[in-house]
Amino acid sequence: MTTHPDDYIKPELMACCGAREIKDHDVVIVGTGFPTMSANIAKQIHAPNAILMQESGVLDARPKRTALSVGDPCLNPEAAMIGGLLDIMGMCLQGGLVDVGFLSGSQVDKFGNINTTVIGDYQRPKSRLPGSGGANPIGSLAKKTLIIALHDKRRLAERVDFITTPGYIDGPGARERCGLPPDTGPACIITNKAVLRFDKDLGVAYLASWHPDSSVDEIRENTPWDLDVVPDAQETEPPRTEELHAIREILDPHRMIKIYEQRGYV
Amino acid sequence: MSKLMTAKEAVAAYISDGAFLFIGGYVCRPPFAVIHEIIRQGRKGLTITRSNAADDFDMMIGAGVVDRFIGTFLSLGVYGLGRCYRRAMEKGIPHKIEVEEYTNLSLPMMLMAGAMGMPFVPVKDMLGTDLLNVRSFMGDRKYKLIDSPFDGSPTLLVPALKPDVGIIHVQQSDEQGNAQMWGIGGDCKAGANASEKVIVSCERVVSREVIGKDPSRTIVPSTKVVAVVEEPFGAHPGYTPGFYDVDFSFGYIYQQTSNSVDGFEAFMKEWVYDVKDRKAYIQHYIERFGFEAYHKLQADFDYGYPVSYAY
Repeated sequence: MTTHPDDYIKPELMACCGAREIKDHDVVIVGTGFPTMSANIAKQIHAPNAILMQESGVLDARPKRTALSVGDPCLNPEAAMIGGLLDIMGMCLQGGLVDVGFLSGSQVDKFGNINTTVIGDYQRPKSRLPGSGGANPIGSLAKKTLIIALHDKRRLAERVDFITTPGYIDGPGARERCGLPPDTGPACIITNKAVLRFDKDLGVAYLASWHPDSSVDEIRENTPWDLDVVPDAQETEPPRTEELHAIREILDPHRMIKIYEQRGYV
Repeated sequence: MSKLMTAKEAVAAYISDGAFLFIGGYVCRPPFAVIHEIIRQGRKGLTITRSNAADDFDMMIGAGVVDRFIGTFLSLGVYGLGRCYRRAMEKGIPHKIEVEEYTNLSLPMMLMAGAMGMPFVPVKDMLGTDLLNVRSFMGDRKYKLIDSPFDGSPTLLVPALKPDVGIIHVQQSDEQGNAQMWGIGGDCKAGANASEKVIVSCERVVSREVIGKDPSRTIVPSTKVVAVVEEPFGAHPGYTPGFYDVDFSFGYIYQQTSNSVDGFEAFMKEWVYDVKDRKAYIQHYIERFGFEAYHKLQADFDYGYPVSYAY
């Protein structure tokens, strides 16, 4: 029988939400933090044949400690293949091999567009952010993109200040008109309050499930667009015993995931 | 002909003011020893490029040696936003820099095109985003959007990059510059080969015979290489696989000090200006943090199986 211990923390729930989006045999491009955690939970529980890769050039790494960047030294020994950006971003991603890409953004809008470039005007930045890195190509070319974000009116936006990474851009058909490959784009936004999914006909995120200590009203209040709630919206399934076991006993015995609580993921 | 020389000699001979530099690295193998030398020699007006820039690019921008940056990303990794980069972009400290923005797909492809003598290359990213709405010093040459001559679909073309000098740090090289690297590559191979001339910094110089025992690891042919600089610990605080780990504590010091202009300048005085070369840098590191801290960063040995090329 499935059991759900109630002593989990929000980042664990979010990591599990991500894990449940990954199917067996999926090829997944991961960054550090949530994406790696989610993909590894999936591998432990229901997707043992999923293959993880890092844009820096690594395929199927077997790290003995938690990787703190996608270029981390622990990704090197025992990987199945190591090349460089052209191998992963070129051959694998642009070549059409990647099923799932995992992204987070300083600002995410209702179309799933992500801004990691600038807050304010581009020429006179209020805050200059790192830039695209691998985010744009992952959001452009992965068959399915999962987005991690904080749920408030600053991080979520009606329109982002700058589209670094394309979601559904300005609505249905926009990706295809621009020349992006068909059947790609964001699948969901996993926040600290909810899971939002995308209506492919509208290209707009709607409420699919709310996390156990949140509510539809609270979520709508903290979402800057008129958030649609589908009739079959439900409470998010909390982490299962075996998922928590994978996180705490196997993947993250030092509980580094708690850092995300300090970053507001509560 | 041996191309062995010191970092000081290589920078003096091959890097002039206003040069366009590719600088390899991806947390893995940033050529810090040569970068410090460029800063010490007070180069001006450089254009620098690589995908996923980090503390090394932030430091060059803070030191005022950079005017232009063809990039995709710049951050201090786990330590967040690049402080010097932000100050330059937001407040013009020490001066404004011009940035041309691409991605970790398109920029490596542009370097690949440069390496292969292609004038430009089609890429499938950036479409539909504001990355196509902002242009800096490359102007109309940043990209062209055309209808594919084959099927009429929208196709993005980006130009080849041909840096004047590529600077890379690798595990080993011979005196001629047959440079061998293993582990995470980033855009090192494409960037070095796109460059007109290459400065190879390496952990150890080996004989041509050693290179020949595993020639598949050579990433740049010696014909392009103008200088070979032996710099053990030359990528610190980044890492070199098989040699030493990332120095996260030092990364934290850089982030903390670079939070302010004064802090950054004090850091630069201590670790760059008052240090004459990499040997002195290592010595200062050991004096400052103790031999144990230095020793702890050194990698264990876990050799792979030797490969055979026999027939």
